Amino acid sequence: MAQSAEAANAAGQDVPEQVTKTAGVYIYGLVPEDVEVSSDARGVGDETSEIRLVRHGEIAALVSDVTLDRPLGTPDDLFRHGALLDATAAEVPVIPLRFGSVMTNEEAVVEELLTPHHDEFRSALDELEGRAEYVIKGRYVDQTLFREVLSEIPEAAQLREQIQGQPEDLTRNARIRLGELINQAVVAKREADTQAVAEEVGPLATLTVIREPSHEQDAVHVAVLMETDRQDELERVVNEFAERWSERVEMRILGPLAPYDFITARTQE
Amino acid sequence: MTVQPATGGISGGPSPSGLADVIDTILDKGLVIDAYVRVSLVGIEVLTIDARIVVASVDTYLRYAEAVNRLDLAESGGQGLPEIMQNVTQGKGKNVTQGVLEAAGEKLSDFVGERGEKQETRSRRQEREER
Repeated sequence: MAQSAEAANAAGQDVPEQVTKTAGVYIYGLVPEDVEVSSDARGVGDETSEIRLVRHGEIAALVSDVTLDRPLGTPDDLFRHGALLDATAAEVPVIPLRFGSVMTNEEAVVEELLTPHHDEFRSALDELEGRAEYVIKGRYVDQTLFREVLSEIPEAAQLREQIQGQPEDLTRNARIRLGELINQAVVAKREADTQAVAEEVGPLATLTVIREPSHEQDAVHVAVLMETDRQDELERVVNEFAERWSERVEMRILGPLAPYDFITARTQE
Repeated sequence: MTVQPATGGISGGPSPSGLADVIDTILDKGLVIDAYVRVSLVGIEVLTIDARIVVASVDTYLRYAEAVNRLDLAESGGQGLPEIMQNVTQGKGKNVTQGVLEAAGEKLSDFVGERGEKQETRSRRQEREER
């Protein structure tokens, strides 16, 4: 916080000291100017802080006041950030900001963020019109997964026989080898299954990103940017996989979400 | 916006995001404002959650091996891995596997739900619980 005060002073801004030290403006994302915010939306940090828009030209920032006296990142904070952006993305184009973006005040949002980059953000929002992100997740059903591995890899089945009924301490090496084989098999299956899903959903999407697994038993983790009108087509495709992999992989679709996976690459170009 | 679950399918329509899903998404994705703004950006402390990394290690291997060891090949639809691991933990809390098993399964499980609010004081709480 001392840093921010210094930064503000360095820029020659006449910001009251108290404000820079205790409060800031939390920014969720950027939207077209003609958007309205529902009054029941609540911001991160403080339960009483209301979401509002800071407008400039044809774009606006979704913001709320935040006090800086505690670190952000409670489950409530994370949920509110995500929920606000995802609810917004279901209706209008939105450029989501990474969690934890705070500026000193509204003037700074307008003068340093919205004004200098107005056209860039405007054209990104145009591209996002009618589109949102969906995340397709698949999680292996462990029992099925392990049976599959044992039937496919003779060495794994052998090692299992070997450790059955034996104390852990005596079979440590065999266990490590068995676990390693399973892990290799899971990695290979994940790659193949993710590829299969990406190939099927790809044609529906404007852009596709294969996400890193976030769990050991992740089978599929793919993000797509696509027209929200085509959501039912996506559901159909994912349902086909769910039926084909019944008892093997549990499939889920998340969305519509704000296009988190497609913003970073766009702006770095 | 309401979405009707598709009939017959296992996945249904889009499901609500859990905390793990949100963490997967908003902490390291999205526009990074630093690239655009330098002067008035306020450095706020964000609680870090080190839960996303999937690195296979010896611990992972041992856990897999134990799960497979316990796998009942004859019977389908038996216990899932989490239950197995719970039983093991309760049954014989001995040597290194104890810690491994506690860290196993859904890594975020202790973060999800009511306990989440206590994250900030987590290290202190754990000390107390261990006594």
